[in-house]
Amino acid sequence: MRGSARTLPAIEVLALLLATALPLILSQFQVIFLTRLLILSLLALSFDFAWGQGGVFSFGQGLFFGLGAYVAALLATRADMTSAFVAIPLAMLAGLVVASLFGGFLLLGRRPASLIYIGMATLAASYAAQRLAAGWSKIGGQNGVSGVPFPTLGGADLEPGRGFYYVALALLVAVYLAFRYLSRSQFGLVLAAARDNESRVGALGYRTAPYKWLVFALAGGVAGLSGGLSAFHEGFAGPNLLGVLTSTQAVLYVLVGGVGTLAGAVGGVFVMEYASLELSTRFASAWPVILGGILLLVIMFLPNGLIGAVISDRARMPTFGDRRAKPKRVPVDVSEEETVGSASA
Amino acid sequence: MADTSFLSDHSMDRRTFLRRSALLAGFVAAGGGSFLSACSSGGGASGDKGPIKLGVLTDLTGALAYAGVADANTAKMVVDEINAKGGLLGRQIQIFLEDSASTESVGVTKATKLIQQDHVDLVVGGITSSMRQAIKGPLVERGKTLYIYPQLYEGKECTPLIYCSGPVPAQQVDPFIPWLMQKTGAKKFYLPSADYVWPHTLNGRVRQVVTASGGQVAGEEYFPIDATDYSTVVNKIMSSGTDVVFVTVIPPGITPFLQQLYTAGFTKRGGSVACVYFDENLLNIVPAQSMEGLYSCLDFFQNIEDPFSKQILDAYNTKFPGSAKFTAGSAATGVYRGLKLWEAAVKEAGSLKQQDVVKALDHAKIAEGPGGPAEMVPGQNHARMNMYIAQAHSGSYTIEKNLGAIDPKECVQGVK
Amino acid sequence: MDVPRLAGIAFDVLSLSSILVLLVLGMGIIVSMMGIFNLAHGELVLLGAFTVYLAHKVGLGVGLGIVLAPIVVGAAGLLLERSVVRHFYSRPISALLATWAVGMMIRESVRAGLHGRSEVVVAPFSGTFAIGNVYLSQWRVAIVLLTVAVIAASYLLLQRTRVGLQVRATLDNASLARASGIATGRVYALTFAFGSALAGLAGALIVPLFALYADLGVTFLVRSFLAVMVGGVGSFEGPILGAGAVGLGSGVLPWVVAPVLADALVFVIAIALMRFMPNGLVHRG
Repeated sequence: MRGSARTLPAIEVLALLLATALPLILSQFQVIFLTRLLILSLLALSFDFAWGQGGVFSFGQGLFFGLGAYVAALLATRADMTSAFVAIPLAMLAGLVVASLFGGFLLLGRRPASLIYIGMATLAASYAAQRLAAGWSKIGGQNGVSGVPFPTLGGADLEPGRGFYYVALALLVAVYLAFRYLSRSQFGLVLAAARDNESRVGALGYRTAPYKWLVFALAGGVAGLSGGLSAFHEGFAGPNLLGVLTSTQAVLYVLVGGVGTLAGAVGGVFVMEYASLELSTRFASAWPVILGGILLLVIMFLPNGLIGAVISDRARMPTFGDRRAKPKRVPVDVSEEETVGSASA
Repeated sequence: MADTSFLSDHSMDRRTFLRRSALLAGFVAAGGGSFLSACSSGGGASGDKGPIKLGVLTDLTGALAYAGVADANTAKMVVDEINAKGGLLGRQIQIFLEDSASTESVGVTKATKLIQQDHVDLVVGGITSSMRQAIKGPLVERGKTLYIYPQLYEGKECTPLIYCSGPVPAQQVDPFIPWLMQKTGAKKFYLPSADYVWPHTLNGRVRQVVTASGGQVAGEEYFPIDATDYSTVVNKIMSSGTDVVFVTVIPPGITPFLQQLYTAGFTKRGGSVACVYFDENLLNIVPAQSMEGLYSCLDFFQNIEDPFSKQILDAYNTKFPGSAKFTAGSAATGVYRGLKLWEAAVKEAGSLKQQDVVKALDHAKIAEGPGGPAEMVPGQNHARMNMYIAQAHSGSYTIEKNLGAIDPKECVQGVK
Repeated sequence: MDVPRLAGIAFDVLSLSSILVLLVLGMGIIVSMMGIFNLAHGELVLLGAFTVYLAHKVGLGVGLGIVLAPIVVGAAGLLLERSVVRHFYSRPISALLATWAVGMMIRESVRAGLHGRSEVVVAPFSGTFAIGNVYLSQWRVAIVLLTVAVIAASYLLLQRTRVGLQVRATLDNASLARASGIATGRVYALTFAFGSALAGLAGALIVPLFALYADLGVTFLVRSFLAVMVGGVGSFEGPILGAGAVGLGSGVLPWVVAPVLADALVFVIAIALMRFMPNGLVHRG
């Protein structure tokens, strides 16, 4: 059965304790793999924040992730700028700036853009960026940028392993708490209300577009941070990081974990990446088909994701859907609506 | 949050760490008795006892699966052969197979796993240059493990610990272009290409050789990797009086390109097409008539005369009927050659100690292999191998010329 | 620039646009009707191509394969609508992702079936028309002509038949259509099947130009969606015009700027166009 409203905080605390203690007993590879998951969790959080909190369907988070990765990789390899205090904030800044410019174009202005338009436009931008990077030989073209050195932190190399792990964990916790705080603040309430009924919030005197724009820009910044960390941790940046692959990955993590719950986004990363690591080589050519099947089943039968199975409905926010767009075209036999839960109490 | 004492992980050298864990493992396994011997002989990453660990990291799924599966099959075949004959230095070889899924970020994770968790002695794999660039970080730069890259590529990979067993531009272009010009009397070349690193580098070499042989390059054009319409460049080729189209457009675009070139009547008016990645896998990507007369230059074709090559091919086809084909373009020949060269090196070194193996691998030789004998050119990290020119005729290749052993001319000071 | 050369470029644009039109026609109908962006559309195209390949393989011939493709893929579309898509009519984002998952399953199954390789499918007729020193492939000319025929047939079906009337009524006002005794659920299913059949036909017609490989469908997917949105959702001619616009951009821009830059520029222009003209190029009233 689903737990009470206290289940989520309990899960969060338990997860943090585990995340702090586990690396002390795990092997080097397991720690490195977990670090990768923490970094991808930042990417998942960024999408979850944009979509689950802001109601902005950003189908192109890969653009900001890849941008952050390229910024960090190029700084480290071309400008010898390996200081984590400089390169990683700059990666984040790049994501933030580009997302705020792109988001301003998409979300501000007299006419609000439709949900589907934002989805397709962000996806197309991510795809275009991938193709541009692949063809641009000055930044490595298809081969991307490799041989990224270890980042330095106060004079010492930060190698993949426990040190990097705890840095990534600290950043993840910080972003998680910031997003959690924002979603429960006045700011978050306006967004939640806008997800529920945008015109009513408008009538109350709130202009929701700037709120959404801010969410989109912050999400872009976090995706850039994630990409910057990834470039240092994996040692390379390539065109695929900018593209459709990364963008859909971000969506799928959140979808599997549970939209709008932050914790679900992180859980989705862990479940999907562990499944891929353990199963992909074993099932080889059948694995992508199995993965597609699992995703389809989750979308059809677990609309609230895996976390929806453990968190009570009362802990979730009201439903959100693009009701005005297609009200007349809804067949009678279907009455569900786009459900986007939220952890806000 | 972050405890700074963890930031100094590097204070313990990774090799020391591995050596210690390997020693510990050996110690435990042997009940303590072998401690001294382990200490004296010093094995590779896999330690001194038990199987030798070989990492095979290739694209079993995704766009490059047709090649990755062939590479994995080939590795299995070579290892089974070695194991059946009693193994290497009396030890069996165990394969750790990982799928990089035609995706660089997946490749990096799997590479890390092979190094950090499985402690393999050697990794063979990677097909595209972008994959090699991505995985060489965790494998070599950070992992300090020996890595064999088996695919034909643009060259210029001179990182110590990386050995390349496939052909490079000097081998595919240097003897081939003059031969083609002499045979067909061609003077004017056109170079339509996909826009990535390999075509750029290869075309640079082609331009050099063509000019040096008294020919000229009428045009060199680059298209996005998945461009599908080439009628404009075909029209340019037709109107410029080009004799040879040296094409580096890749699948899927190569299909419409060759069809459009054929329908424009380029071959009918006496033009020749050269495409140096065309192997048996590419035979059914274009209608046979559209690639009639196409020249390719590779280290192996299934129709070459060499009896040992035929033996390998038969063994492969018996072991993996109906699976991915054993060809040069999929890097299967490079995997075979690379592993056999490594086997020879380990035998010469008499241990798996990395510095000894590397020293021996640097000049390793094999008397037989796909396409014939091969050897590493000392100090160049690349292999000297036999090259063949073949021409497509009604859906198969006929061998036009055995060029003999060709030097890679890579990683040489002062020579590009 | 000489005249034959210009004619050559013009034909390129026309040929690329026709391919895009074939791809977006079915997509556009489904989007307009149901507000569903079917991310498995590329794989329906792939299935059409695969059908032709199978027909050729078992000896039925490529010609018959091209006839069979829309029927087979139409049936597959019907199955897809009944089993998956119908649950998502009010949840466009979930629909997007569900169809993406279905597409992935189809694509990877085909890849496994082909052992990851490409297979060639030869056009029913090959050869060229020469105009001066410009050579036009006969099959490409056939595609342009067939595209026009398919547009005309679809138009007549929608405008002149009883089924078409029901479809238009449902598109216009679903509840009113239901109240008037139109089984809208069935109309949705049939429309989806029809859109899928068009995708299958597109796949069958383009596969001889390329080769059959697992990613055949996704190559044009993002461009097709942009074409639909640039052209305008909710009208018959919108997606066709959009395809023409994207085809024109892709064909002409490489002559103005470097091909690689042109490629990205097409997307940027499309995104901007959609923002300033959210209802597309053809918006009446």
